[in-house]
Amino acid sequence: MDLIEVSGLTKRYGGIVALSEAQFSAWAGEVHALVGENGAGKSTFIQILSGAVHPDEGKLQLEGQPYSPINPDAAQALGVAAVFQELSLIPDLAVEQNIWFRREPRTALLTVDGKALRRKTLELFDKYRFPPLDPARELRRLTLAERQLVEIAKGLAKDPRILILDEATSALPAKEAEWLLALTRQIAAEGRLVIFISHRMGEVRAIADRLTIFRNGSTVASHVATAVSDDEIVTQMIGRPLVRLYPERKATATERIALKVDDLRSGSRLTGASFELREGEVLGVGGLQGHGQRELFQSLFGASRATGSIELWGKPTQIANPRHALIGRDGIALVPEDRPGQGLLLTKSVRENLTLSVIRRFTDKGFLSRGREAALVKEMVDFLRIKAGTPEQLAGTLSGGNQQKVIFGKMLLTEARVLLLYDPTRGVDVGTKGEIFQLMRDLAARGYAILFYSSDLPELVHVPDRVLVLRSGRVAATLGAGRVSEEAILRAAVLDEAA
Amino acid sequence: MSSFLTRNRLILLAYLGMVVLLLVTALFSPGFLSESNLRSTLVLAAFVGIVALGQTFVIIGGGIDLSIPWVLNSAAILMTLLCAGQDLPLFWVAPLILVGGAAIGLINGVGVAIFGVPPIIMTLAANVILQGLILVYTGGSPTPSAPELIKFLSVGRLGPVPVILLIWAVLALVASLLLSKAAFGRHLYALGSSATVAEFSGVPTARTIILTYASSGLSAALAGMLLTGYSGQAYLGMGDSYLFTSIAAVAIGGASILGGSGHYLGSIAGALVLTILTGLLPALNLSSGALLVVYGAVILVTVSLGSETFASLWGLVFKNKKQKTEGD
Repeated sequence: MDLIEVSGLTKRYGGIVALSEAQFSAWAGEVHALVGENGAGKSTFIQILSGAVHPDEGKLQLEGQPYSPINPDAAQALGVAAVFQELSLIPDLAVEQNIWFRREPRTALLTVDGKALRRKTLELFDKYRFPPLDPARELRRLTLAERQLVEIAKGLAKDPRILILDEATSALPAKEAEWLLALTRQIAAEGRLVIFISHRMGEVRAIADRLTIFRNGSTVASHVATAVSDDEIVTQMIGRPLVRLYPERKATATERIALKVDDLRSGSRLTGASFELREGEVLGVGGLQGHGQRELFQSLFGASRATGSIELWGKPTQIANPRHALIGRDGIALVPEDRPGQGLLLTKSVRENLTLSVIRRFTDKGFLSRGREAALVKEMVDFLRIKAGTPEQLAGTLSGGNQQKVIFGKMLLTEARVLLLYDPTRGVDVGTKGEIFQLMRDLAARGYAILFYSSDLPELVHVPDRVLVLRSGRVAATLGAGRVSEEAILRAAVLDEAA
Repeated sequence: MSSFLTRNRLILLAYLGMVVLLLVTALFSPGFLSESNLRSTLVLAAFVGIVALGQTFVIIGGGIDLSIPWVLNSAAILMTLLCAGQDLPLFWVAPLILVGGAAIGLINGVGVAIFGVPPIIMTLAANVILQGLILVYTGGSPTPSAPELIKFLSVGRLGPVPVILLIWAVLALVASLLLSKAAFGRHLYALGSSATVAEFSGVPTARTIILTYASSGLSAALAGMLLTGYSGQAYLGMGDSYLFTSIAAVAIGGASILGGSGHYLGSIAGALVLTILTGLLPALNLSSGALLVVYGAVILVTVSLGSETFASLWGLVFKNKKQKTEGD
């Protein structure tokens, strides 16, 4: 019998239909993947399953009983727990306090039992063979990947019958991602249901028993994983055959040096990076997580203090802060790592977000010109094909891919010609990923210089012209055309140079 | 304009509440709607409104200014001491005091924006320090009466219109333009929504923060001088009640106390609501203690009507109406 069965599920936000007549069924003991582009309705669907959002119409049944949780607590009481894409942890609490938040073991005096808390956390880590993670560490001091692990632990701590993983692997380095994939199989083997959302086809292939495809707010089809090809899945996801994910790589780099970095140091992680980025070039940045990539991008953007020399278009520059970095055609722009935290004002409109960095471009004697602002907004909405009802739609209600496009638009409007892209495809669907890669190549052809970090190895192999591999805060290797491969990047990231 | 109202439903609500409150007051004390009484209510509201101007900027930017009472009080006392009852010195004293008020705000802003002192601590400390300085300076002795010119600005009239309402109207226009039509407004709303996103988007966050506190010091100093004209003299503690009313006016006007939303047009409604309320309560024949309880409770209820929970309730009400009309 089906553990969960859904039919006719519909959810509207104002005039926008987020989910329309969705059908779904899954049984205990399987890993069931949900695939589809951003904005296809997957997120709304699992928010409804987890009790965070109430549907307008539709029938949900859990083990044959009507299921309509009024909030996430009610869903958890019935054994449904979700690990969400946008992390919902409390920065000031320790790892263990976050995992057991509001469900802490108590002493006789009703205070939190610290020993039991530690014991339960270690048991949990042990049971699921978690990667090393210090239970006492304050959450704010963890990397994004480590926070994702905490989020997963929090979900598992509820011992759910249905575990929903929303893009849980996208923030994880390769080894941890593999661990999580194995874990989903283990959980399914225990007779539980794992609902798994991922934009990485390889992962879906590796673990899913069945998959359900979403497109434009409805469910298109469900398949047994072994009975359907990648091409069929992608075709059903985007409604047309995908020509290819990675764009053609035409060398457009000129001799002109856009960015020259010498012995850049910041904090304890970036310990002296030197490299050159040319006009028209896409330069990849790889390496194991925590080897200075974040510090490199932030210090080039003026968001962290750094020492060393930076030359932009041949001129030595001190970048004091992001405002300074963004000024003019000789500026330097960043698409940051943390979309809601650094990139986007979720409670403001698409328009206000797009033009936030370029207010002076439509200001006359101190007054804003709405007409000129609208023209800039339209230019970017059209150029990037941002799917929003109107420019007044709140940025927080857009899908992940469209949110990322808004951030790109905001940075492109600044006219800065050196772009820093920090993992720009994280949590972005296949279709939008392809668009972003194509955009990068197009911009390069127009003379932009692009520094591109990705946590996804195949992207680094297929998109940039050259790849810098960082190890211990320095450039360990520069892999030119023809020498880039996943193996070469990993080798340089891990091994000392063998002569 | 209609999009402005849909996005600022809370401001509309504040004005609706004001009208309801006005009618209720008229019910309890029929004389309240007389021309002279309405005029004096507006004049009193102007003081709250002017103090709330800077506070509106600060709160939209995600901060709070608790130094208002003694900036106001210091301005009042320094003005009377320096002018000694004469009009002529006012031409250099008034600018000096306005600059001084802005300078206190500047220090608050620098403390918050550059040195990272939490706004509550920074401005509370400024308030206490000013209080101490004024006590030391005056030795607690009474000060001369206010110059005639400042009395004219506070209680004088041009035809039927009180001068202070003209001053308030000009300030309201300037503030609204700054919020809606100037780059400063965009920077301010972005800053209050997320300081990190604003910083990463190239918004001059430090400068914007400092400007908000400076404008708050400026408006408190102006209010202090005008209030002295209204009461005829300056006295210790005259600014104390304006701390709560400035924050309450902003909150009643629909701003989130966490920053990122609100408008001075809402704060105007907030100032009017608060002033009408102080006119209504005496008519209820309550003891002064009971008055404070009711005053506090009404503000609490008014502000919570704009909270998230109530917002979703309003949403349900509006949505049902819409569906009905669609069904017709």
